[in-house]
Amino acid sequence: MRLTSPVSGLLLGLLAFVAASEVAAHGERNQEPFLRMRTAHFYDVAWSTGKVNVNEDVVIEGKFRLFEDWPANLPEPEVAFLGNGTPGPVFVRTESWLNGQPAIQSVPLKIDRDYAFKTVLKGRIPGDHHVHPMVNVEGAGPLMGPGSWVQVAGRANDFVLPLTTLDGTKIDNLETWGVSSVVGWHSVWIVIAILWLAWWTRRPLLIPRLVAIDEGREKLLISRADLAAGAVLIVLTVSVVVIGFIWAENTYPRTIPLQGGRAVVKPLPRSDAPVEVIVERATYDVPGRSMQIRASVTNQGGRPIQFGEFATSGLRFVNRELPAAMAMVSPTYPKDLLPPSGLKLDDATPLAPGETRSILFDMTDAAWETERLTSLINDPDNRVGGLLFCFDDQGDRVIANVSGPIVPIFKDLVAHQGMTH
Amino acid sequence: MSAQLQENRDSVTLYGRRWSRENADLSRTFDILVVIIMFIAITAAFHLHFQLTVGDWDFWVDWKDRQYWVTATPILLMAFPAALQYVFWEKFRLPIAATVCMLGLTIGIWITRYSGFHTWSYFPFSMVWPATMIAGGLILDAVLLLTGSALITAIVGGMSFGLLFYPANWPLLAPFRLPMEAMNSLVSVGDYIGYAYTRTSTPEYLRFIERGTLRTFGGHSAVVSAFFSGFVCILVYLLWWYIGMAFARVATLPNRMKIFMGLHDRGAEGKDA
Repeated sequence: MRLTSPVSGLLLGLLAFVAASEVAAHGERNQEPFLRMRTAHFYDVAWSTGKVNVNEDVVIEGKFRLFEDWPANLPEPEVAFLGNGTPGPVFVRTESWLNGQPAIQSVPLKIDRDYAFKTVLKGRIPGDHHVHPMVNVEGAGPLMGPGSWVQVAGRANDFVLPLTTLDGTKIDNLETWGVSSVVGWHSVWIVIAILWLAWWTRRPLLIPRLVAIDEGREKLLISRADLAAGAVLIVLTVSVVVIGFIWAENTYPRTIPLQGGRAVVKPLPRSDAPVEVIVERATYDVPGRSMQIRASVTNQGGRPIQFGEFATSGLRFVNRELPAAMAMVSPTYPKDLLPPSGLKLDDATPLAPGETRSILFDMTDAAWETERLTSLINDPDNRVGGLLFCFDDQGDRVIANVSGPIVPIFKDLVAHQGMTH
Repeated sequence: MSAQLQENRDSVTLYGRRWSRENADLSRTFDILVVIIMFIAITAAFHLHFQLTVGDWDFWVDWKDRQYWVTATPILLMAFPAALQYVFWEKFRLPIAATVCMLGLTIGIWITRYSGFHTWSYFPFSMVWPATMIAGGLILDAVLLLTGSALITAIVGGMSFGLLFYPANWPLLAPFRLPMEAMNSLVSVGDYIGYAYTRTSTPEYLRFIERGTLRTFGGHSAVVSAFFSGFVCILVYLLWWYIGMAFARVATLPNRMKIFMGLHDRGAEGKDA
């Protein structure tokens, strides 16, 4: 049998259908690297648990910084909303806070400032779900933080979301609230519509009526009973509308319009930023999956510092030689976002106060590929961005911005050229 | 027996013309087939139009506001009923086009909301219930029947179409406008449903809702919105009535292409090439 025959094509199609695994995440790796490396940098993110039952809470807390080197092609975050990246409403968001302020409304945010967030999600649909913190920015879209798997166990039918309104109405379950009223009023109107259509469709419809009009007998098509039925229909329709409106006003006398205001949230206090990082040259070794950043680093603080972590796009390259840095890694943080090779330095001696030194930061791992950040070379804006976590000798942390142009290195091309010359 | 239908053993008189029993039965079978096909076609086309134009305003309980939802929905709904009313009324004297449209749309919406939004995408039905639009359709048909005039139907029916939309839906909507407190903030139950059930890429700020920009009499912008909607519905009705007229017209053009290609049309020319 030839491979290109229709039968083999059909078999291949069926095989692909059967062999396809379930897609449980939601395309976060498909976002362009410049979006993920130079917009919202999430850090200190922790999930309270990796497994909940239906109706139980999982709390996601952390911080994010809106990056100083914000892409010029994106609007500034004048309108933003703290969301959560989940596969639809598999959880119910019962609370969300930005710097201790309620985040139920959209807010303006400031670039190069930090915000602490907290989101409480209640398990609703059983399954393994990838859960991200997320900031939606008008014009820039969803900016995802790191994602972690959370398993929801139990039965979906057991989920309830009760609440009490300000007028004392007790809602047993928001999932079904008001639905009986919706079904009831739709049914009333559907019945009236069907009766009206039945009034006309019970008699010959198309060809006899068309012929009658062509032959000038259209007056026979509308009887006095039809006109009376039309008048009754108008009275009935208006009456049902008025009765329904009065019923609703009496049943729900205290109502409010949708709330569409904007909230105001002040950013976290700005740190003194006693570390300045100026990128001298950044390269990405494409086949070697290695990013190297040589930067001039100046310690403007009063204590010696060491470099503990480079974070970008949820990836955390942690200096495993530095206990203070390792202590900041939450046990719930996803392992696939913690490259085992971590952060390597060509000179790891502490940077003295006032000292400026050129340091090579080496981050080599396949995670660049699996997180699809290697497609950076396809971006029209080839700049790298991330946060550098520095620790002084007392364990205090300072976060510095790192950004600059990046140059790809194609070693296979270099080798090929070497062979031909 | 009415003047419309008079029967005897071998023939039947339909609307003043005698039909053989067999032809009358065939005509009725044709009616049934066409009605079924047309109802499905109108439902599908009108539903697609509705999804693409009204869209989110009707999808979500926290988009059904007093300004845009009230204004936009009747205006965008007016196209199909007006165009089909021309065809149904002028060709068949049937004042049912608007009702057919609204009933078909209602059935189509219920199918997609239940299967697509609720069952497939996990949204609770309290969040995605559809508005009812049938009242406006009934009024349009009844006014056309009683007046027989497209202009009066546009003015009276079109205005009623816009005005009735909000009060007809208030019994459905009111439970979702009860006030509640969430995170020390005042919100309506509908706001909270929209907040609680995540639409990952539809954040709060994407809502096109009243944000206090419409100056109103008595603080209730729905009244102003409904009157404005009714006024525009008058214009939209007339526009689509004439579009229906244009599309219902059968026109032919002489086949010039054959002449351009050197292939003379014998039938048209009446002589050999």
